[in-house]
Amino acid sequence: MNVKKHWWKILGVAIVGYTLVAGLIVPLKPGIISVSHKSANAGDSLRIEVIGYNTHFEGGKEDLKLWLKGDTTFFIQGQDVMIADENTLEVTFVIPALLPFDRSVVELSLLIYNGIDGPFILPSAIFITHSPGSAGVQIGGWMKKIDLEIGSSRMAFPFRNILKETIRNTYFHVPLWFTMIFILIGSVFNALKYLRTGAIIYDEKSSAYATVGLLFGILGLLTGAVWAKNTWGAYWSFDIKQNMTAIALLIYFAYFVLRGSLEESTQKGKVSAVYNIFAFATLIPLLYIIPRLTDSLHPGAGGNPAFGGEDLDNTMRMVFYPAIIGWTLLAYWMGNLLHRAQTLKNKILFQ
Amino acid sequence: MNLMFPLLAVSKNADFLNSIGKIYVVVIVIIVLFAGIVTFLFRLDRKITQLENQIKNNE
Repeated sequence: MNVKKHWWKILGVAIVGYTLVAGLIVPLKPGIISVSHKSANAGDSLRIEVIGYNTHFEGGKEDLKLWLKGDTTFFIQGQDVMIADENTLEVTFVIPALLPFDRSVVELSLLIYNGIDGPFILPSAIFITHSPGSAGVQIGGWMKKIDLEIGSSRMAFPFRNILKETIRNTYFHVPLWFTMIFILIGSVFNALKYLRTGAIIYDEKSSAYATVGLLFGILGLLTGAVWAKNTWGAYWSFDIKQNMTAIALLIYFAYFVLRGSLEESTQKGKVSAVYNIFAFATLIPLLYIIPRLTDSLHPGAGGNPAFGGEDLDNTMRMVFYPAIIGWTLLAYWMGNLLHRAQTLKNKILFQ
Repeated sequence: MNLMFPLLAVSKNADFLNSIGKIYVVVIVIIVLFAGIVTFLFRLDRKITQLENQIKNNE
């Protein structure tokens, strides 16, 4: 095999291999899965069981500390910590009788720190009910400041409740859609080239890339359904993003039905090239615009940006971006193989 | 049934899928992806086999 000619295929395989390994072996950051009590009244002494994930309660117990956190300036420190194992402990919080907030129900976050895991938090862990109206009164029982040492963070993916380990699907589901878009852009490009030159090779390339694009779209939909079943609760929630994606893929299905129904090659090429441009022009609003205009469960839709903040941190970027490049190279390879087989077939037919 | 379709059995067992931080959901996603690529390969293989047979018949 001539390496100079095939380097990009090797590169694609190597990158996808890297994302499979890195995407699976890098651990998750420590996090809090649940607390045994979700609500309490002001003045209570509250004993709760905390269940963590990837935590080191036992190993880091010398400097283990827990706080309930109102906002950035109000804290209650936990007392009488009893560690059951690395991921389970019990702790008591004495909630002051007066809370420095005007609302009658106050959400407190649970903040845990130890030397091994660093700080990690469960937002809105406990809801405290109290009678407001004491604003301005000097309120006791609250700490104004805590000391946290944010040590060196080891390489780890973010911990998200509900998502947990499935956050890794970011490398095996999302890149399929990027790949689909890139390969379909290749398909439209070749369709335009066919319309301009009339050379049959561009029509065949366009069709081969569309086939691979559709394959990646179907795989994206299936992997998304499996992920949704275990995070949103159903394979198909009739979410706007899912529905619009299904419509977009059906439009591409029709492209192949159209091609199959036309016999004469010039007519077939022209009609399917024009339809290809139409299909791509509807794909973009269906996938990326309409889902943003309304509510959706899917990140990146419904005013819910996917690639900002903590949905994709720098550790994840080191796997996610290569995954897009690797899968795109593989898809391009697949499209070319399909195109080469098709060219051979035509040669035999017209011999 | 469950022996023939281990994946079906798995998807019915929510406890299993929820164990170890739902890592098996990632495993299933990768299997689906792999199955898709393999399906593509088999179809391409069939297409090329047909071409080979046609060339043989022409000779």
